[in-house]
Amino acid sequence: MKVLALYPDRCTGCLRCELACSYMQTGSFQPAKSVIRVSPFEGHTSYAPYTCTQCAEGWCMTACPVGAITITVAGAKDVVDDTCVGCKLCTIACPYGTMFYDPDTQKAYKCNLCGGAPACAEACPTEAIVYREAETADWLGDFAAERSARLLAREAV
Amino acid sequence: MPARHLIIGGGTAGLNAIRTIREEDGGASEIMLVSAERPYSRMVLPYYLGNTIAESHVFTATPASLTAWKVKPFLGRRAAALDPKASTVTLDESTTLEYDDCLIATGSRAARPPIPGADGPGVHSFWTLDEARAVIAGVTPGSRVVMVGAGFIAFTILNAILARGARLTIVEVAPRILPRMVDDECAVIVERWLRTHGVAIRVGATLTRIQEARGKRTLHFKKGEPVLADVVVMATGIRTNLEWLKGSGIEMAEDGAGGILVDDHLRSSLKNVYAAGDVARGRNLVTGAPEVHAIEPTAQEHGRVVGANMAGRDVAYRGSLLMNIVEVCHLDVASFGQWDDAAADVYTAVRPDRFAYRKLLFHDGRLTGAMICGQAGDIWTTNDVGMLKGLVYSGADLSAWKAHLAKNPFDVKPAFLATRTTGRLLPETILGRPSRSPELPQSVVTA
Repeated sequence: MKVLALYPDRCTGCLRCELACSYMQTGSFQPAKSVIRVSPFEGHTSYAPYTCTQCAEGWCMTACPVGAITITVAGAKDVVDDTCVGCKLCTIACPYGTMFYDPDTQKAYKCNLCGGAPACAEACPTEAIVYREAETADWLGDFAAERSARLLAREAV
Repeated sequence: MPARHLIIGGGTAGLNAIRTIREEDGGASEIMLVSAERPYSRMVLPYYLGNTIAESHVFTATPASLTAWKVKPFLGRRAAALDPKASTVTLDESTTLEYDDCLIATGSRAARPPIPGADGPGVHSFWTLDEARAVIAGVTPGSRVVMVGAGFIAFTILNAILARGARLTIVEVAPRILPRMVDDECAVIVERWLRTHGVAIRVGATLTRIQEARGKRTLHFKKGEPVLADVVVMATGIRTNLEWLKGSGIEMAEDGAGGILVDDHLRSSLKNVYAAGDVARGRNLVTGAPEVHAIEPTAQEHGRVVGANMAGRDVAYRGSLLMNIVEVCHLDVASFGQWDDAAADVYTAVRPDRFAYRKLLFHDGRLTGAMICGQAGDIWTTNDVGMLKGLVYSGADLSAWKAHLAKNPFDVKPAFLATRTTGRLLPETILGRPSRSPELPQSVVTA
């Protein structure tokens, strides 16, 4: 399956992915509504994009009481808007924090790989987000551990 | 002869078991479903009450889908007795069903306090679809609704009652709201929020009787002024439906009130009899202790594990995580795991101006419970809810982050990422295989 491979050391924090994502997901350029989120590290000197891994369990999908989350042709778990009632069970079921809730529509939403052509990967100028065949993985763990080591060491003093 | 699976209870646990059996066997076995009601999702009834969905939206199975899944339904019927020696269950009308294995998933019902007038006209529970219909008929714009009980169930219908244009008063016997879901500090924040959104709240109020006169109700309390109501909703707790198993020999805690004892495969003390959902005293994921978690996610996971085991798989269950989330007037309130634990290291932070609250509970480097409160429009509230669940569920080692989180309980994400929690979670599946899309069981091959 093609997944969003994330390379945080290439991320410049330009937030183009968030703009592109929010436009695809909600029709407006509102980074606050993006389902890919760029996190700052080391006092905003490095950054990492973070989004749904389309995990095997699909915690959001199995938690939904009305079967509103299904697997698309692209292999993504996606919310069927007409079926979602907005109960938020998926937001506590997902252990990755990658389920979202739109207060305007009162529906849950999430990364659906844009139907197989993810806008974030297309928008990324540095190939920090690449849509390719791969096993899904913990793309950020090593990076986050390394880039937060100094913060923790400083706090420990 | 194909295996005969008997599912007793058409709620979340029962339906998840049926789906999973069909995912595993493609329709090879016989499934019988005994359900007092046509299967629907209790979780979504508040949205029916709030007029955002039609009644048809609440059903989790239709006659057509039951046929497609090759399920023989016994709807509108109740199990009356179980004979473990003969492997049979007798229904109310003396129909006897033989099984090779059986799932008890009879759930709970709403309980009311034993006070005069508690069963009078205009006094409702909100638990079954029929009860929901009655509340819908009674709550009209401008009507005065009094909700007795300020627990999770009451809070799930709070938005819907306001959306119907009613004036809402909540009365609670405990000295504060949400006594079993959040701590004192969080309750104060939620209470303040609700008052600013026009909800009247009276805590520490012991209801003594409900008087009815000319279509209006008066609620009398041990102390203080009576309260007038057009409609009363009793959200005063639930009771498990296990009375019918008395005499079956099945092992239960506290004479049934504490649920059916089960092992890590959710098997009861009786051969080939499983229990799931509100009636099962399953393993608590965090503490390992046997406990009833009468919540939707536990019923789902229990049901799936039992379904897989009934279909011949060997699936052990790690245990369930106590968790609740409710949104009231666009304020999210959630708690996970052992949030009320005097033996834990507890770190809290509050942002009064934003109605935000965090509580993290640790045993050594492990997060064992968490609480979160914040505005639904604040995207970090929603994301952190999930990450806190992941940290509690995975048992990630947060030793290096504990001091940081003690000072910054809101700064969850870097700790989640840097402790490689994603990597720990990715191999985790409930059934030891990837989950299937929910529409798959409908493609069961009919012989």
